[in-house]
Amino acid sequence: MLTVSSLNVSLAGAKILRDVTFTLKPGATTVLIGRNGAGKTTLLRAIMGLTPAESGSAALDGRQLLPLPAFARAPAGIGYAPEDRRLIPEFSVEDNIILPGQALKLPQAEIKSRLEKVYALLPELHTMRARPGNGVSGGQGKMVALGRALMVAEKLLMLDEPFQGLAPALALDYARTLSRLRETMRDLTLLITESSPNLLKSVADETMLIERGAVTLQSPDAEAA
Amino acid sequence: MFETIVPLLIDGLANAALIFLVAVGLTLVFSVLRVLNVAHGSFYSIGAYAAASLGLWVVGAGLPGWLTFASLPLSAALVAVIVGPLIERTLIRWAYGKSEAVQILVTFGLFLILEDLQRIVFGVDSFYEDTPVQLLGSIEIGGVVYLTYQLVLILLAAALLVGLKLFIGHTRIGKLIAAVVADREISQAMGINTNRVFMIAFSLGVFLAALGGALTVPQAGVSPGLGADTMVLAFAVAAIGGLGKIEGAAVAAVIVALARVLAIYFAPELDAVAPYLVMLLVLLVRPYGLFGSATTRKI
Ligand SMILES: Nc1ncnc2c1ncn2[C@@H]1O[C@H](COP(=O)(O)OP(=O)(O)OP(=O)(O)O)[C@@H](O)[C@H]1O
Ligand SMILES: [Mg+2]
Repeated sequence: MLTVSSLNVSLAGAKILRDVTFTLKPGATTVLIGRNGAGKTTLLRAIMGLTPAESGSAALDGRQLLPLPAFARAPAGIGYAPEDRRLIPEFSVEDNIILPGQALKLPQAEIKSRLEKVYALLPELHTMRARPGNGVSGGQGKMVALGRALMVAEKLLMLDEPFQGLAPALALDYARTLSRLRETMRDLTLLITESSPNLLKSVADETMLIERGAVTLQSPDAEAA
Repeated sequence: MFETIVPLLIDGLANAALIFLVAVGLTLVFSVLRVLNVAHGSFYSIGAYAAASLGLWVVGAGLPGWLTFASLPLSAALVAVIVGPLIERTLIRWAYGKSEAVQILVTFGLFLILEDLQRIVFGVDSFYEDTPVQLLGSIEIGGVVYLTYQLVLILLAAALLVGLKLFIGHTRIGKLIAAVVADREISQAMGINTNRVFMIAFSLGVFLAALGGALTVPQAGVSPGLGADTMVLAFAVAAIGGLGKIEGAAVAAVIVALARVLAIYFAPELDAVAPYLVMLLVLLVRPYGLFGSATTRKI
């Protein structure tokens, strides 16, 4: 699975990630908890190749990721939903979801079957499939970003603060969706970041803490800070 | 008045059709690569030289005359396939992410190199090869005689505009291009090889400009300096329409053509400056052009 070792990242001269080292348990949901500015987004972006790393490594099933260009993550089976959604505004919801499938040149039938799986998991996306990317609310946009990430997430799904800004009802919905995802895709490994430890208690198999760029492991039953 | 202004109009629109092909490529390359390629007009003259050479060869070899039609898009495709990837992979790729001043200097350097190369290869002579115009002849509508070739040019440009919009909106590659225009970074995260998309968009831009150049040969031939003249005009059209806007370039090309017709009719001495007067007026009122905006990234 994903193994990160001694990963260091600096931005604008400031050290943001310090010797980050961890291994994700295959098929488990790992929640990375840290306050605002702790470095959660930077860590996911570095794994995605969107922010350059100073030193260290990240490997997926033994394959080194950091030397690869950013666009090589999706074909390697990594799905990523950024915290700010980043939908293509003029694309329909459905076109946003299938974009990674088109990028990977998946056969039309394969795209269709994956899309149906996404709709089965997130029926509300089917309802708004024809709306433009900039015609959905922030919370709905998070769902779309999740669906889009699922299009290629065969091994690893990384969600950056999926609950941030969600109304309580929608957050509950999203948590239920993640539980259902867990049941339907048992082999999928999940890495989810969150600033509050409470929201993801129900779905977390493993918990990690990040503080000022340093990651520490935590046993699942320990009280979060 | 009708008998004089309509032929002027057709002539103006036929020229606008060719300038549109250059401007739309310029705009496409700008929105995908975010590089304003000052050398873009050179692809027009290179396409013209290629088409003139190929056409003259077809005629000289005694091949059937209709083959000169095929030689026009064929020479543009050859230029696009050979010159496009070569230049994008080397000079243009080097300029990505550099400041706009550096990009303009680099592409201006490219322009000078391409102009010199054309002079070395083709000399200072003009070339004419008008078999397609001869073969198509003319038609009389309402007592006025038109060159059929010019009418074909106008229809062709309109068809290319529609085709380009359909390509961007409804094909796989087109969707990838639109995604890269909207958000380069997330496109990469979703698995799009942006470098490939840059190369495809750049080569498509080269093809459109070279096609414009090839299509001008049967009606006007090709002489030195054609690339520079075309670049200035195409830039004005792209700026009026809004840099990065495909339909903007089309509307602007028509506006410029109309302005020139009016100038020729009422104040002939203003003919050459009319496009730039229009540009000045439009940009004073709408700095991002008719279809442009400061915020959205959309072709
Ligand atoms: N482009 C940048 N340049 C300089 N510093 C940055 C940049 N992006 C982030 N930082 C800094 O890096 C640190 C970590 O930021 P990051 O966005 O990774 O935190 P986060 O844990 O995701 O926070 P949040 O919960 O607010 O999303 C912060 O101190 C932030 O100010
Ligand atoms: Mg963050």
